[in-house]
Amino acid sequence: MKQRILWSAVTVLAITVAGCGSASQPASAPAESGAAAAPATKLVVWDWKSGEPYAKTYIEKAKADFAKKHPNVTVEFVPQPFEQYYTLLGAAMQTKTGPDVMLFNGGGQIRDRADSLLPLDEYIAEDKSRLAGWDAFAKDGKTYGAPVTLQGHPIYYNKALYEKAGITAPATTWPEFLANCDKLKKATGAACFALGNKEGIGPQFWLSGLGSGVLTPAEYDDWIAGKRDWKSPHVKKIFEMFKETGDKKLNNEGANSTAMFTDIFSVFNTGKAAHIIGLMSDIGHWKDFGEFIGPDKVGIMLAPVVTEGATPSLPYDGGIGYAAAKWTKDPKAAADLIRSLTTTDALSSFSAEAGAIASDTTISAPQDAPVVGEIVAQLKAGKPALHVAMDSKTIDLMGRLSQKLLSGSATVDEAVEELAASDQEN
Amino acid sequence: MPTKNTSPAVRPTESGRAAGGGPREKSRHGAARRRGRSERFAPYVLVAPAVLIILALRLYPLALGVNFSFTGDGDANGTAVGLANYLELLDDPLFQTALANVGLLVLLLPVAVAIPGLLATFIFLKVPGHRIFRSVYFFPAVLSPVIVGAIFNLMLAFDGPLNELLGTIGLGPVDWLGDPGVAKFAVVGVQIWATFGMALVVFLAGFATLDASLLDAARVDGASLRQSIWHVIIPSLSQTIQFVFVTTMIGMLTSMFGLLFVMTSGGPEGSTYLPEYYIWIQQGQMNRPALASAASTVLFLIMLVVGLLQISVLRRAGRED
Repeated sequence: MKQRILWSAVTVLAITVAGCGSASQPASAPAESGAAAAPATKLVVWDWKSGEPYAKTYIEKAKADFAKKHPNVTVEFVPQPFEQYYTLLGAAMQTKTGPDVMLFNGGGQIRDRADSLLPLDEYIAEDKSRLAGWDAFAKDGKTYGAPVTLQGHPIYYNKALYEKAGITAPATTWPEFLANCDKLKKATGAACFALGNKEGIGPQFWLSGLGSGVLTPAEYDDWIAGKRDWKSPHVKKIFEMFKETGDKKLNNEGANSTAMFTDIFSVFNTGKAAHIIGLMSDIGHWKDFGEFIGPDKVGIMLAPVVTEGATPSLPYDGGIGYAAAKWTKDPKAAADLIRSLTTTDALSSFSAEAGAIASDTTISAPQDAPVVGEIVAQLKAGKPALHVAMDSKTIDLMGRLSQKLLSGSATVDEAVEELAASDQEN
Repeated sequence: MPTKNTSPAVRPTESGRAAGGGPREKSRHGAARRRGRSERFAPYVLVAPAVLIILALRLYPLALGVNFSFTGDGDANGTAVGLANYLELLDDPLFQTALANVGLLVLLLPVAVAIPGLLATFIFLKVPGHRIFRSVYFFPAVLSPVIVGAIFNLMLAFDGPLNELLGTIGLGPVDWLGDPGVAKFAVVGVQIWATFGMALVVFLAGFATLDASLLDAARVDGASLRQSIWHVIIPSLSQTIQFVFVTTMIGMLTSMFGLLFVMTSGGPEGSTYLPEYYIWIQQGQMNRPALASAASTVLFLIMLVVGLLQISVLRRAGRED
């Protein structure tokens, strides 16, 4: 009886409140204290990097540079845990009491909060050509952040395996590339690609890594701008090539059960595969690979050309960058601090110690990692990565479909059709 | 109860002053009424902590979750959208797979119960080395799902030891975690491996209550091992078996997230999704908390039905006793 009363009470409650409230955090959250009334003589910076040992020299250099310009202004770096960073920042910004300068991931995170940020265009004009990756920190023609690192997807290859197979230079066309794969297999036994597709991340790297060799420049730019033509034979070709690598056994065995993070990197590191579409910063990049196969044995190549007229380019976007709050007391000082955080000197320390490709296109490659020079040389001509422009639901679907393509339980036509439907819906 | 102790202590004084008249009498009635009232409220006060905890920490969050499932995500955050989330769930092939996999788990339940049952029988029948087996079988039950998952990730890797072993006896490699038809059975197999120790202990406890004279009688009558299992052991252990069924079912439906997360991430091709994993993906990765609430509500209803069925089974078993 009691139970019945209790249950009906719950039901009534549930029905009366059904459809009120909201599932995600409402906008009005309490303010973060601490940075509240920052006087102009003190700038507070929030990020998730400054507490790391590898960022120590970088922060010191930036502080020293800033102190030269504004000797009377003190700077306080407040490292926050990354998992809660945007929650804390969002709460602080709601009440306009947040930090003066803060770190952002490029793309959606900073664009969503552009209303509360200071447009930096008048301050950073000098840095515009030196730094790359601005697009990820811009919205409606205004720049809100200065890039610190870049994230992208170079095709890395193992020079030692190339030498063994007698290949002098990486292929520039797809047929030539396939021929090289044959040679590599025969001479070294290595698979052509190291592909970890357990999480379904493989096709994201594939699409961005090889897309510039398949899509025409116009198609590429349209794709990034959101006008994605899924009916184009070139788009279909990218997925056909992905399936081809599975059908022709160009990937390491068991690709669908090998994790991208981080099992697959060891396949490349141990010489079991000759190529890998990796990352530029944070993980799975030149520094990681160099430690295993030797820094001078890591090479990068551009996407082999498939379509006539395609211009292969390095796919990358702004990784992380600093922005200033609209309400900061002294916008000039805040902007100068951001500029100090993106000097060539500071960025080269961050690049070498954190294992990241910095946004600075003038950085000379560290002695022990010549491939960084090759990557930096490609930055000027590089374009945004294709998969970054897609929504997370379509990306997730693409992961599952790619596993079906490899196992043969879906055709390329079916996959492209489903992706087109999902992409247009979202 | 306190009343019984207090009444005798009060009465003598009262009876001594009985001649005192009306007002005393009235106040005595008042005291009794007060006492009656406090007695009436006492049970409510006593159960209040439990009820409040249930209301505040169980039912209120539950109601909130159900409520959220009727609101939208993203731009529609906080606005009522009726049954849209539930319709989307019905339409999502991924959620359908997750539900189908729940069905698969139910179908595989007899296997998950039979394995510890059989092994416990062997230990009970004192096969050589039964003491060692008893502790070895229980060992995986103390490992966390993440550790078990990591171990089997290595074991079942395409170039892992199991495939190497298969290769030496001339069988082709099996992509244990990469083939959608194989992966879900691989994960369930690991889940059974990791948890059957607990069921085994329960079975052994059941065996302890088994009437040994029945088995002796069967043996004297010339029953084979199979016959004594079928006609003596299983009927005597029916309550234990039912209990293991219930607990194994709950275990499989609620505690496979860790294994899935570590071993397959729901893949390949989304074939190893379970509702729990779907909820986590929608809430954490897709930024769809309202849709996740709807999926949680569906999972809650499934668990409610399963739980009620199990309670009725247990109750019936209790009556038979």
